Amino acid sequence: MEQNPVIQIEELSKVYTVNEREAGLVAAMRSLVKRKTRDVNAVDAISFSVGEGEIVGFLGPNGAGKTTTLKMLSGLLHPTGGSATVLGFRPWERNRDYLRRMTLVMGQRNQLVWDIPVIDTFELNRAVYRIPEEQYRPVVEELTELLELEPLLRKPTRNLSLGERMKCEIAAALLHRPSVLFLDEPTIGLDVTMQRRIRRFITDYNQRTGATVILTSHYMADVEALCKRVIVIHHGKLLYDGELTGLADRFAPFKTVEVKLQNGLDGRPLAQYGELMAHSEGRITLRIPKVDTAAVTGRLLADLDVADLTVQDPPIEDVIEHVFSQSPSPLDAPDPQKIQSE
Amino acid sequence: MYYFRLFATYVRVGILGELEYRANFWINIIQSALDLCVALGGIAVVFSHTDTLGGWRQEELLALIGVYFLIGGLIRTLIRPSMIQFMEDVRQGTLDFKLTKPADSQVLVSIQRIEIWRLVDVLISLPVLGIAFLRLGASLGPIESAVFAVTLLSGALIIYSFWLMLSTCAFWFVKVENIQVIFMSMWPAGRWPVNIYPTWLRAVLTFLVPVAFATTVPASAVSGRITGATLIGTVALAAAMLLVSRWFWRVGIRFYSGASA
Repeated sequence: MEQNPVIQIEELSKVYTVNEREAGLVAAMRSLVKRKTRDVNAVDAISFSVGEGEIVGFLGPNGAGKTTTLKMLSGLLHPTGGSATVLGFRPWERNRDYLRRMTLVMGQRNQLVWDIPVIDTFELNRAVYRIPEEQYRPVVEELTELLELEPLLRKPTRNLSLGERMKCEIAAALLHRPSVLFLDEPTIGLDVTMQRRIRRFITDYNQRTGATVILTSHYMADVEALCKRVIVIHHGKLLYDGELTGLADRFAPFKTVEVKLQNGLDGRPLAQYGELMAHSEGRITLRIPKVDTAAVTGRLLADLDVADLTVQDPPIEDVIEHVFSQSPSPLDAPDPQKIQSE
Repeated sequence: MYYFRLFATYVRVGILGELEYRANFWINIIQSALDLCVALGGIAVVFSHTDTLGGWRQEELLALIGVYFLIGGLIRTLIRPSMIQFMEDVRQGTLDFKLTKPADSQVLVSIQRIEIWRLVDVLISLPVLGIAFLRLGASLGPIESAVFAVTLLSGALIIYSFWLMLSTCAFWFVKVENIQVIFMSMWPAGRWPVNIYPTWLRAVLTFLVPVAFATTVPASAVSGRITGATLIGTVALAAAMLLVSRWFWRVGIRFYSGASA
């Protein structure tokens, strides 16, 4: 789709062999000698490509295979099948020239050294990445300003709050000016203000450097603010790859209709119109199948004393939840839209 | 050159970091001084009853204690902290950050943590070795000095490789912190020449946990007690263990990334 994709993945798969142990002492003893194993398809033949400078949201519930995919792309895991190239490199060969141009941030894990001041961890990374002094100074100054790190740099990591630590984590990961960023839940556990600040920073970095970003997050606000394009995976399979706005069209076969009534309900049942989502003081929210929207709104207007009526796409959280609860059924039916986008 | 500079940065940051814990400095001084007193006291007791111990004279044993403290200091300063950190990294998944760095992972892991106060052991070892050398006097010529240096370096490399191999097991078993306890419990046996121990224990200290190569062998070099075969054997073993541990490390990394499965 792009002329020069930075990341290209074809039929990428990862099968884990996990040990299975039955409950109980005897079974535990038996497993010491012979272990039962089971194959788990963590990532199942997914294909996509990402163009230079894109920010792509990578969505899926816990255990969907997001982190496994990011680990393969950052060279930590060998795939069981398929191929991937990032910046022209095969990630798991761990070519130094590749590693120097990418970075991995994991919201749940720390790379900052616990006991030493943040600036000293930066110093270690400077040495590891062989960043020349004349390049290092301005980068640190810039990151310090953008992320407001000034008061934090001299503190040991262990004295920082979660949000402060995450800001420093991100700065430490960007000292070498990577052109590909893999951000695995960079805002996890942060308060709304801090989430917003980090989002703004990621947009900023992307615009200034033209870096390509793949981001996973459970916060839809992150995805909505950052990503025009999303890739949804579930049970290791690719469910959707396209515009964020198209997600609702594709997966949510319903609309949300909000009605404000002049005289309340007068005890009339609402079930005949659609699924009642919320109801408070003359304001009701209904979920209505997309195909019936026109008909039902017509009936609503005819039957009730409507003061106001709005028809909306459901919030993105609901769509995502809907996708994950009904899948993998969307895959079973051949989907013209998916074939088109490929 | 790159790795040398990297190491220097780690040392510098290690010093800065540890300056935060000044109490550690005093605790280490007291601990090391006590260790030294026990070691020297042991010699004094032994030599109040006899002139030689397993053929070793007093000044030779003094040199042995110097070597024991020197290598022990190295283990406690660099090898043990780095390897413990490595095992912790495997357990917590933070090893991923080391593997995504454009540098040799084995080197990064091996120099990652420096407990600078433990250098007290190394500092203590220097005057002990100095006194031993003075008292050995004429018997310590340039050849003996060179052999001593070579065996000391070999011993250090053998110990490092041994630790690395033990730690590498963390890739498969994850919880192997206790492995280092095995080594640290055997280590004090290196305070005495291994030939005073019964055969089975000598075999253990030589081949199972290579304490002998790091202590007895270099110390036996200062008085020319060492045989040519031992010298060659020690150097060969150091080279072999360095290569094998390197190979084993790579196998571990391949296993970790699922390439071997």
